[in-house]
Amino acid sequence: MMANEPLYILLCSGEHEKIQMAAMMASVGAVSERPVEVFVSMNAMLAFAKGATPEERYCGGAFSDLLKAKHAPDAITLFRQGKELGDLKMWACSMALDVQGWELDKLEEDLFDGALGLTKFLSDAENGQFITL
Amino acid sequence: MSERTRIDARGAYCPGPLMELIAALKLVQVGDEIEVLSSDKGSANDIPEWVKKVHHEMVGITKEDGHWSIVVRKAK
Repeated sequence: MMANEPLYILLCSGEHEKIQMAAMMASVGAVSERPVEVFVSMNAMLAFAKGATPEERYCGGAFSDLLKAKHAPDAITLFRQGKELGDLKMWACSMALDVQGWELDKLEEDLFDGALGLTKFLSDAENGQFITL
Repeated sequence: MSERTRIDARGAYCPGPLMELIAALKLVQVGDEIEVLSSDKGSANDIPEWVKKVHHEMVGITKEDGHWSIVVRKAK
């Protein structure tokens, strides 16, 4: 049985498979009465660019091709469902935004709860289970 | 009198059927039932696990022709 301990996901990879797994863990955890927070940084942030097509967002290997071919639930959609149906917060890494010269409005709308620094995220994560993808 | 809603999630992959169930549960009354049809074996295991975790009720799960029928009652 899943614990109610908060889940903190540090998502850095731009690989489709890892973004998909993060979305699955975040959404299922959030709807299972477990608070979840996702910190998006590095290449992963590129997948959340506003208005990008699935082909532009998701680059990966053999499993990425399968996910697309089989119309597996879209990662962005899963994150949204986690927010709508459960307790999920998503944070954009302040450093990754700065390096790109982006503001939050460059990212998919109504998904991110704000920009956050790594120090704060790591501090909060001391209270829960920490996973890096 | 309790109502039963059917969700046809055949063809959807995990965690799609679970998410559809949860969205539907938000719309029905306590005591109502939701039947999820799913061709995803993982969901046939995961949905009862989720139901147990969040304290709804499993009414039943049956294997039918190429899919599962999973019936959940809203308990809270």
